[in-house]
Amino acid sequence: MLWGIPPGLLLILGVLLVPLLPGAWRKAYMTILPLAGLWALAGAETGVFYTFTFFTYEIAPVRIDGLSLVFGYIFHIAAILSVVFAWHNNDTVEQMAGLAYAGSGIGAVFAGDLITLFIYWEAMATTSVFLIWARRSDSAFRAGMRYLIIQVGSGVLLLSGAILMAHQTGSVAFDKMTLGNLATWLILIAFGIKCAFPFFHNWLPDAYPEASVTGTVFLSAFTTKCAVYVLARGFPGTELLIYVGAAMAAFPLFYAAIENDLRRVLAYSLNNQLGFMVVGVGVGSALAINGVAAHAFAHILYKSLLFMAMGAVLYRVGTVKASELGGLHKSMPLTTIFCIIGAASISTPLFAGFIAKSLTLSAAAKDGYPVIWLILMFASAGVFLVSGVKIVYFAFFANDGGKRCKEAPLNMQIAMGLTAILCVVIGVYSPWLYSLLPNDVAYEPYTLSHVINQLQTLIFSALAFALLIRFKFYPPAVNSIYLDFDITYRKWLPVLYKWIVSLVSPGWKSMLQDLRNGLHRMVAYMFRHHGPEGILARTWPTGSMALWVALLLGGFLLIYYS
Amino acid sequence: MLLAHLPALVIVIPLICAPLCVLLRGKDWAFIVALLATWASFACSVLLTIQVMKVGTISYAMGGWAPPYGIEIRLDALNVFILLIVSGIGSVVAPYARNSLLLEHIEERAYMFYCAYLLCLCGLMGVAVTGDAFNLFVFLEISSLSSYVLIALGSDRRALTAAYQYLVMGTIGATFIVIAVGLLYQATGTLNMADIANRLPEAGYTNRTVIAAFAFMVIGAGLKIAIFPLHQWLPNAYTYAPNIVSAFLAATATKVSVYILLRFVFSVFGVEFSFVSLPTAIPLLVLAVLAMFLPSIVACFQTNVKRVLAYSSVAQIGYMVLGLGFVSVAGLTASILHLFNHALMKGALFLVLGAVFYRIGSCNIDRMAGLAKQMPWTMAAFVGGGLSLIGVPLTAGFISKWYLILAALEKGWWYIVVLIVVSSLIAVVYVFRVIEAAYFRDAPDDLVNVAEAPISLLAPAWILVFANFYFGVETSISVGIAERAAQSLMGAG
Amino acid sequence: MNGPKHTSASSSSGEKQSWLDDTQNIDKIFWGVIFLSVILMLLEPFYYKKPYFSFEGSFGFYGWFSFLACAGLVLVARSLGRVFERGEEYYDADRNSGEDNR
Repeated sequence: MLWGIPPGLLLILGVLLVPLLPGAWRKAYMTILPLAGLWALAGAETGVFYTFTFFTYEIAPVRIDGLSLVFGYIFHIAAILSVVFAWHNNDTVEQMAGLAYAGSGIGAVFAGDLITLFIYWEAMATTSVFLIWARRSDSAFRAGMRYLIIQVGSGVLLLSGAILMAHQTGSVAFDKMTLGNLATWLILIAFGIKCAFPFFHNWLPDAYPEASVTGTVFLSAFTTKCAVYVLARGFPGTELLIYVGAAMAAFPLFYAAIENDLRRVLAYSLNNQLGFMVVGVGVGSALAINGVAAHAFAHILYKSLLFMAMGAVLYRVGTVKASELGGLHKSMPLTTIFCIIGAASISTPLFAGFIAKSLTLSAAAKDGYPVIWLILMFASAGVFLVSGVKIVYFAFFANDGGKRCKEAPLNMQIAMGLTAILCVVIGVYSPWLYSLLPNDVAYEPYTLSHVINQLQTLIFSALAFALLIRFKFYPPAVNSIYLDFDITYRKWLPVLYKWIVSLVSPGWKSMLQDLRNGLHRMVAYMFRHHGPEGILARTWPTGSMALWVALLLGGFLLIYYS
Repeated sequence: MLLAHLPALVIVIPLICAPLCVLLRGKDWAFIVALLATWASFACSVLLTIQVMKVGTISYAMGGWAPPYGIEIRLDALNVFILLIVSGIGSVVAPYARNSLLLEHIEERAYMFYCAYLLCLCGLMGVAVTGDAFNLFVFLEISSLSSYVLIALGSDRRALTAAYQYLVMGTIGATFIVIAVGLLYQATGTLNMADIANRLPEAGYTNRTVIAAFAFMVIGAGLKIAIFPLHQWLPNAYTYAPNIVSAFLAATATKVSVYILLRFVFSVFGVEFSFVSLPTAIPLLVLAVLAMFLPSIVACFQTNVKRVLAYSSVAQIGYMVLGLGFVSVAGLTASILHLFNHALMKGALFLVLGAVFYRIGSCNIDRMAGLAKQMPWTMAAFVGGGLSLIGVPLTAGFISKWYLILAALEKGWWYIVVLIVVSSLIAVVYVFRVIEAAYFRDAPDDLVNVAEAPISLLAPAWILVFANFYFGVETSISVGIAERAAQSLMGAG
Repeated sequence: MNGPKHTSASSSSGEKQSWLDDTQNIDKIFWGVIFLSVILMLLEPFYYKKPYFSFEGSFGFYGWFSFLACAGLVLVARSLGRVFERGEEYYDADRNSGEDNR
């Protein structure tokens, strides 16, 4: 560990220096900081460090083992790439929030107990919301507020679960748990909220598209993958998760297929990819956990790349609505190429996603879940369609929207280029990623049948897309909201509230009015000798206070003498 | 020799220095006298605390008249803890006075301010040290009367009305307390609190006089504490008082009133009488829970940040009463701990607002928009205090809530735990509203060039902010004393 | 579809022509995809399969399943979209009136 500072905390503490440094120095510093963290981590030994006793509980702030290391590495890499992507940005708050957020995510991954985890968990929530607010629009502010409430709520559930757990077992250690009591359920739900389980997922497609150009790149990497990590750590082999994951892998695609805002399309397909990982956690075999880690690793890279490409488009064109884009390959040829690489990396042979996702699919198949496997196959083909082909086609090709702009800024090109290179290198040389995985499992992704089958999947998906477009069956992108589960709290709850108010308020008002009239009479009597009318009118609340005193005294005496 | 008289000195110093301020007149001289007096009192309190922690309860007979006939000063862990809070906050806030008074248009009356300030300090500490029930009432009146003056010094004209309301309500409360003391005297024939406690069982737990005394005492103290729904005097008083007064009173006055409640309910009447023979716990718990929620929700809708904090104080008092209502060592520990921690956080936040007011002449949330750019240190202090108010881990606020939750768990009351956690979420809302305005909105046009607050205002605020974080990590002092105080309170019954 | 129909939105501005501006080339891509699909299907008998499930071993399973999955996905989403579609201001509509009540 670097200078004895735990991973994660290095970035969080390092953030404090950011506002003190001038322009270029600051950018260099912000890039070097996660690099230094990565370098320190590469030389780290496994084990538990800095343990101490807090009240009566063993706190383990840093636990380094195979599983936490993979996530630690990729989080550092994602932080570096996101920082490079944001070089052009001089917003101090956003810079600080981004690094602190990355640090919190890294810290959470290395947390060895539930209290430390909770602290980083809430730190992630509170730092990341600034990335959304940094867009500085009214809708971003409100989406951020909804996001914050849900994220902090997840932390509160986690804390409640941890306290219950501590009460029952006398320990706050964060290890494998079995569902069965309130404590573990609370913890699972807390994880599930961050992992965007169905019905808890709305914060994701709600908030990510509202964040700033650079903020979304940060956001896409940490929160949800951290949730996947804690699930893999806490609930491997929990069968329920297989079904939850399968549902997650499938349903967001329907939204992604018709959504107009391309960053929202990516957010929905991010949700779908999380489903794959959750299924892997649910299967829980050594192969499956390897699949989860590898998939998270690859997914962070290619999803960042796609969000970077869309961010570049948003930065240059000012919108990422499919209905307004098209033909950008002329103005932004490099971004187009990077975006195509990102799309290919989802599952094409020779790219990162292929060697990662196969692990999970094989694990589900090996453990004998045919229906789940079919759903994952469906999701696998579908996600290539919506977050690969659709994104690339509508943004860069399709009908020329007539938008002309400059190519993305140099730093964005560098960030996208680096990410693209990583995607390819990992995909071509599979042993490298596999050597990082927590379990020793021999797996060979490049068999003839596997490659051919995968190509069939992709090409026939593309064929479907081509036919649908050609014969105008593909629904045209329009500006609209597609109802999702958030209608419950964004629409029905306020309506219900208003309805209740409308029911109750007449009675309540007349009751208050009666009370007020009575008070007025009483006050007038009490203060008849205490001043002119004006003061009487002003001070009537004093009378109501006195009334409360009398009421309370009477109440207490009544209870006591009865 | 002098050490033996420390218990008397701690209140005599400010009492003598108060008229001295008026005699000296000059605002610099008065300031120096007040500063030295508060610091001297604080030093005495620290010495006394060390002494009490070492040798246990100290009893000091005023003028050499032995108790129960003479006036006794009696110091146990709870007394010195309250003494520490009051004199500690008093001495951190005092240096702040010099600058903050300038803009509140009371500099020409500064010596009056210092005099009232010292008297108030003297009264509050007197309540905390005395072992005599009637004497306690006298000190309470000293502190109350001087605090009416302090509030009325506010630059806003509404300060007068607020002070007047506070006067009426405070007098009702004090009257209730003196009625209770009178009834107790009637039933037991003594005014010494330890003596009353000894003789009460003889009078009998079903004695109607004693029950009436108890009810008057709970309501009277409750009014001074501002237990919901007896809180309505508080928001106006804190909002329109000069900022330094808000900081001082918010951090000390209600705390001393909570002490009175604790002392009488647990030590004088005893747990057996207060909670076993009378159903006191349930009404208190209900009021506490209501206090945790309703004023918090009100706080979310206020536009004046001082008012937000005032309503939040009412909510925080709910936590203290909640711990008290558990009637267990753990619950009392949490309550007493929160007395201390809340003094730290509210003191810090009100001092920050004082600095804000000093520069922009308002504490309105809209006027504070974008302020973080111009006053980064001030707003950073607000964030620090705010985090503690919410109860974020590593802050003092978290420690209180943690102990409160432990106490609830010990009783097996899950739903209370849920309520505590949910009500903390409301605190997130009202704190973040301010932070959002200060950090993310653009400043009003006329407030673009605002300078950072002067160091004399920032330093006291930051001392308290650091204290919030220090006592959020190093808990042995605060928790240690609070635990001992709680044990002695429960043991006394 | 025959003949050199050069359609372009921006040729008048003198911008460099893209290969894709020619609809003929788009046709080429379209037929290219179909050609690739056919090739991949023709490969079926020539490689060794090791299916986990029996249906997985059926002829061209990955191809036709993906095709049906994608076509189904889009068509179902299209009809669901009609049901669940609301105006852009849907959530903002009553916000203003809500604030008046306060």
